[in-house]
Amino acid sequence: MRELLAIAWGELGRIFRLRPVFSVLVLAPLIYAAFYPQPYLNEALRDVPLAVVDQDGTVASREFVRRVDASSDVAVAAVLPDLAAAEREVLARQLDGVLLIPRNFERDLLHGRAAPVALYADASYLLLYQRLAGGVTGVARAFGAEVEAGRLVATGVDPGVAAAATDPLPLTAVALFNPQGGYATYLLPAAFVLILQQILLIGTGLLCTLPRGQDAVAVGPAALVLGRLLAVLPLQCLALCFYLVAMPWFLGIPRLGPVWLILFTALPFVLAVAGLGQVIAALFRKPLTVQLVMAAMGLPFFFMAGFAWPPEAIPEFVRLPGHLLPSSTAIEALVAVAQMGASPADIGRHVALLWGLALGYGLLAMLLTAWRGTKHQR
Amino acid sequence: MKGHGGHQPGFTLVFRRELARLRRRPLLLALTTLVPLALMTVLILIFSQGLATRLAIGVLDLDGSDLSRTIVRTVDAAPETAVAVRVADLAEGRRMILSGRIHGLLMLPHDLERDARAGRRPEVVFFYNNQTMTSGGLVLRGVNGALSTVAAGIRLSLRTAQGQPVEGARAAIAPIPVQNHALFNPTLNYAHFLLAALIPSLLQVAIFTGMAYAAGLDLETMHRVRILRRLGGGIGPALAGKLLPYTLIYLAVLGLADAVLFDVLGLPLRGQGWLLLLASVLFILACQLAGLLLALLLRPTAMAVSIASILTAPAFGYMGIGFPRIGMNAFAQGWGALLPGTWYLTARIDQTLRTTPLALSWQPVGILAVFVLALGLLSVARLLQLRRQAGKREV
Repeated sequence: MRELLAIAWGELGRIFRLRPVFSVLVLAPLIYAAFYPQPYLNEALRDVPLAVVDQDGTVASREFVRRVDASSDVAVAAVLPDLAAAEREVLARQLDGVLLIPRNFERDLLHGRAAPVALYADASYLLLYQRLAGGVTGVARAFGAEVEAGRLVATGVDPGVAAAATDPLPLTAVALFNPQGGYATYLLPAAFVLILQQILLIGTGLLCTLPRGQDAVAVGPAALVLGRLLAVLPLQCLALCFYLVAMPWFLGIPRLGPVWLILFTALPFVLAVAGLGQVIAALFRKPLTVQLVMAAMGLPFFFMAGFAWPPEAIPEFVRLPGHLLPSSTAIEALVAVAQMGASPADIGRHVALLWGLALGYGLLAMLLTAWRGTKHQR
Repeated sequence: MKGHGGHQPGFTLVFRRELARLRRRPLLLALTTLVPLALMTVLILIFSQGLATRLAIGVLDLDGSDLSRTIVRTVDAAPETAVAVRVADLAEGRRMILSGRIHGLLMLPHDLERDARAGRRPEVVFFYNNQTMTSGGLVLRGVNGALSTVAAGIRLSLRTAQGQPVEGARAAIAPIPVQNHALFNPTLNYAHFLLAALIPSLLQVAIFTGMAYAAGLDLETMHRVRILRRLGGGIGPALAGKLLPYTLIYLAVLGLADAVLFDVLGLPLRGQGWLLLLASVLFILACQLAGLLLALLLRPTAMAVSIASILTAPAFGYMGIGFPRIGMNAFAQGWGALLPGTWYLTARIDQTLRTTPLALSWQPVGILAVFVLALGLLSVARLLQLRRQAGKREV
């Protein structure tokens, strides 16, 4: 035990002495924390610019346009004479959609006929499309319900009955978490878990591939692997608190789960990642190789987790082996605990899988270290 | 492999030397071909369905009537949603959402059918997990659509029961229908929108880091820089011979991934193919020169590689595909404008999904050309500066 602590202490010292390891494990977390969230700090996309082509030019059509402009999602940025001019603006990326109100809009409404409007929204950027479609459809529905209720009341129907006839089965949609639909609230908690993983993977990879120096005492593979796991734990405890507690607080992202539960859930995750980092080190052997091979892995790892892209849409034969990555399980579990207030029982299977990975990668790292040791001696 | 003695110094000599090096160094070859191809394959497989359908939701049916069963069937039939479980109470539904088994819970209240027929407007509640916004939005769309279909039926029958003709009733229940046209991506396909952008972003990371490394092999010491220059017979041909083998390899890697996108996943090519190719070449060159410049500015090579990956690994968010650039703060917009990928993705979307006329297509391609020119000049300037410094030191 004392030997183990001595190794851990020695490795902790190396983390601070070796410049590349220090940069990755201590400086990189600080840089990423400032750099990564920048695109999402405005949280919501508001007032997406839309062109209006009003072929009707009546009181009703202008009222409809005014309401679209007043909605928070959409802003009427231009009123253009025809569809061709508007489409050109969309292609030039000056505007993101066109609302066409055809001739006779008001007359059809007054005569009790359907008065359709057409929305052409840029779907090559899906978030823009969703905002435009959602904004215009919402306005049309509300405006339409008023018109329909007005018609019914005009024919002598009781206003309460008229409301029931226009909307007999109202749906109340309750967003359980992230009710404002903030993009930072959605993306950052998950991305932070991935950043923690990538930093720790590269950091342990470097720590294990950089030479330990002549004066280092010879130790067994098991003690070395365990000692390194122990050495990264205190640092990771700080990094976890920083990324999963301090950063959300600083960015105004809600946190429902207690700190102890976040750390408790993250413990097997950190051990699994540090174990995997040592496995990677044993496979790639050179610090530069570790850095180069790991550089572009973040993107596929993130989408593998079934967070930004639903797990049902990922083919089984990719998703199941994907669980060998600690992030695939940890992102779901840590977001559930921290942002959704899940209890230990809710994420029991996640934690169990992470402990399994920690054990597996720890043992694999020991085996590979031992095997490399015997090869060196020969 | 014979020595270089028999060859004239120049572009060809450096070009051949680099090819020989790629054969000798499996790591370098893997980093430029196998690693990006493998990672692209993973991304392609993840998004191969293009659309997310039949996402699991739960139902709490407290009514058990014909109407509630119709609603459940309609929701299950909606493309976005699948009724995966029926729960006994709200607490169970909440647990299922928290443990990630379902994306939402639809609650149908007691006496739903009786109240709906009597015009008492019973409230149907859909709880959905908006922490995962993509799936949250999709299941909400599915339930919303299914419920308005069912509601339209009720409204129609309420009116026809009063003696209105079906046609008139149908017009009356939707006074302002919105005809939604999703321009450029009518099926809202994620493979065409997200995957097609992820592949170049991944390549951007691979080229920045890979070139910083490959350039570092020749530039880490002044001695090696001199060898490279002498082999090339000047800085220009030496750099061209050094970079071009990788340009061709990266172009082949991108071409392979794009072949899958176009031929298997049905990404349209509505613009000019040659313009897309031109933009791709300029994008690759810009990334290569950026990697080269980093290797010239930062030593040792490991440092250049670290900075290259810090610059590019988090770059995807800045390029405005998921969260559009118009919604970003000034810093993020400015930083995004300095990334070659931002302009390449703009040109790519112009030429694949959109029907952008030629006159409107030049801006992003032109900016990429400016990148190549500026980064090339900066690299040469830095090389000349290094040479002067080395000269002084020797005097």
